Amino acid sequence: MSAIVCSHVDKAYGATTVIRDLNLSIEEHEFVVFLGPSGCGKSTLLRMLAGLEDISGGEVSIGGKVVNDLDPGDRGIAMVFQNYALYPHMTIFDNIAFGLRRQKVPAAEIRKRVDAVSRTLGLDPYLGRKPAELSGGQQQRVAIARAMIKTPKVFLFDEPLSNLDAKLRNHMRVEIARLHQSLKTTTVYVTHDQLEAMTLADRIVLLKEGVIEQIGPPAEIYLRPANMFVAGFIGTPNMNFVEVTVGRTGNGWTLTGAGTVLSIEGRGFHLRHGDRAVLGIRPPDLKTAGAAGILQGTADLIEFHGNDALVTFGSGGKEISALVPARECPALNAPVRYTFEEEAIHLFDATSGASLRKQ
Amino acid sequence: MRPGRLIGKAILALAGFLAVFPLLWTALNALKNNVDIITRAPRLVFTPTLANIGYIIGRDSVLTGLYHSVVACGSAVLIGVVLGLPAAYAVARYPNRWAGDIQFFVLSLRFLPPVAVAIPLMVIWLQVGLYDTLPALIITYSLLTISVIMWLAIPAFQSVPNEIEEAAFVDGYGAYSVFWRIALPVAARSLAGAVAFSFVLVWNEFLIALMLSSSNAKTLPIVASELSQQGMNVPWGILNASVVLLSLPPLLFLGVLSGFLNSVFRQKKT
Repeated sequence: MSAIVCSHVDKAYGATTVIRDLNLSIEEHEFVVFLGPSGCGKSTLLRMLAGLEDISGGEVSIGGKVVNDLDPGDRGIAMVFQNYALYPHMTIFDNIAFGLRRQKVPAAEIRKRVDAVSRTLGLDPYLGRKPAELSGGQQQRVAIARAMIKTPKVFLFDEPLSNLDAKLRNHMRVEIARLHQSLKTTTVYVTHDQLEAMTLADRIVLLKEGVIEQIGPPAEIYLRPANMFVAGFIGTPNMNFVEVTVGRTGNGWTLTGAGTVLSIEGRGFHLRHGDRAVLGIRPPDLKTAGAAGILQGTADLIEFHGNDALVTFGSGGKEISALVPARECPALNAPVRYTFEEEAIHLFDATSGASLRKQ
Repeated sequence: MRPGRLIGKAILALAGFLAVFPLLWTALNALKNNVDIITRAPRLVFTPTLANIGYIIGRDSVLTGLYHSVVACGSAVLIGVVLGLPAAYAVARYPNRWAGDIQFFVLSLRFLPPVAVAIPLMVIWLQVGLYDTLPALIITYSLLTISVIMWLAIPAFQSVPNEIEEAAFVDGYGAYSVFWRIALPVAARSLAGAVAFSFVLVWNEFLIALMLSSSNAKTLPIVASELSQQGMNVPWGILNASVVLLSLPPLLFLGVLSGFLNSVFRQKKT
C-alpha cells in the first residue's frame, strides 16, 4: 500500500496557481526528495501534506486515509522545519515531549521515550537546557528528535540542512541517511540542493513552477533526464547545450551546430531529417582529444577544482565547458580539442525541450 | 581616552543626571520642612521629617483617590489584557481584509486630542447615569488599555516565528492551545512591556479622570492636583510627598512584572 497518494492536487492563492494537477504516489518506507529551484512549489506541496496549507483541489491521502480536512496533528506526520522551530521557552526535554503530552502519554513513558530518542541522537547532556543554548547542529537534532518520538507514519523535512554550515550539513546528511536506514519511516524531504537529493533519495521528484518535471531514482534522473530543464538542473557543473540541426545520412544521422558536424548512429533517439534539436553533453563526458576532436576552441576560462579543472572554451560562438583531470589542463588561451562518446549525449526537442530518447 | 569617547560619556552622564535628578530631588523634598524647600540656595543637608508623608497618608481623600486609582487602573488593565491580547493575536495571525483597518482604528484612538474624546464621553456617561462612578472610569480606561495593548501586542505576536506555531500544530495542538502555550509565553517579554505601558498611561491619566468625576470617582492624580489649590501658600513638601506616593505603584508594578519575567525566563544551567 502506498504511504502517500496525491491525485489531481491543485494549490492556488487567489488567481495565482502554484501547483497544477499534481499526481504522485509514495511507497511505504520510501525516501522521496522534492527538488527544484526556489518558487517551484516544493515547500508548498510539503506543507499541504502536513496540513499547514489548504488543498485547493484534488485529494491527498496518507496511509490510505484521505487527509484533506484533517488537522496536522491528526495526519500521522511529523515535520522538521528549516529554522528548527524549537519552542524557545521550553527545555529540550519539554520540546521533545510536547507532542506526547498532547497525546496524554503517561509521564513515566514520556521520560522513557525521550531518554531513548535523545540517546540515539546524542542529546542526553542537553535535556535541561533551552534551545538558545545549543548550536545549530544540536538544535536540528532536537528538531529531529521531536519528530522521531511521535513514531509517525511519515517524516516531512522542509530544507532541514540549509541553515547549517557546509561541514555540518554533510555530517547531518549522513545522520539523516543512517536514521532512515534504521527507522525505515516513509520520508518526504524538500531541498534545493541537488547533492542532498542525489545522496538521500530513493526517488527524486523534480518540480518546476508547480508541475512535476520528472520522477525517478537519482541515477535515472541524472543519466536519462526527461527534458532540458531536468538536464540543466541536475549535475554540477551544468550540462552544455548546443543547438543542432538533424540530418539523415546513409547509415546514421548528423548533428550540425556550434561549428562542427557530429555523426551518430542515433539508434536510441527519435530523429527526423531537418529537425532542430538541442544536444546536451555533461562537462565530465568531454575527453581531451588529439587532432580528431569533435569540439574545438580556445580555452578562455580555467577553474581549478583540485582533482579536476573546468575548462571553458568557445566553439562556433557557443560557450562550452569540459571537466578534465587537472593534469590534462591546458594553458589559458591555448587551443583545445575535445571528443565524447555517443552514449554520453542527450538530445532534446528544440521547441518543447522534451528528451528525444526512446523509452 | 579619546576625546570623542569622553564627550560621549559626558553627554550620557548629563542625560542620566537630567533623568534621575528631578526624581531624586522630589523624593528629598518630600522629606523636607517647607523652610528647607523655599530657601534660595538648595539644601542637601537638612533635618528630615515624615510630616509630609504622614499628612498625605493620613488624609481620607488621598486614600480614597489611591483606592479609586488602583481599582480603575487595575480593572482597566485586566480588561485590556483579557480582550486586547487575544484580539491582537487574531489580527497578527489570522489577518482578514479588515486587519489593517482595525490596526489603524486602534491607533487612531490615540491620535485624537484627549479633550475631543473626553467631552463626548462625559455626555454619554451623564446620559447613561453612570457619570462620576468607577464603572464609567473603568470602561473608559479599558478603551485606552485595549487600544494600547493591541497596538503594541500585534507586532509582538507577529515577531513570534510562524514555524514555531506550525510545529505545535503538527504536534497536535489546536489554535487556542497554540495561543496559550506557544504565542503567549514566547511573546511574553514584549507583551509585559505593552501591559506595563498601558498601566502607566491610565495611572497617570488626568484629563479624562477630571472630566468624568466630580466627587465619587476621583483618582489619585486629581486628588494630588487639588492639594496645590489650597490658597497662596503652596505646601511644596506635601505636593512632593503626593508625587512620591503617585509614582510608587507604577514602579512596584514594573518591578513585580520584570521580576516575574526574569523568574520565568532565567536560563537554566545544568
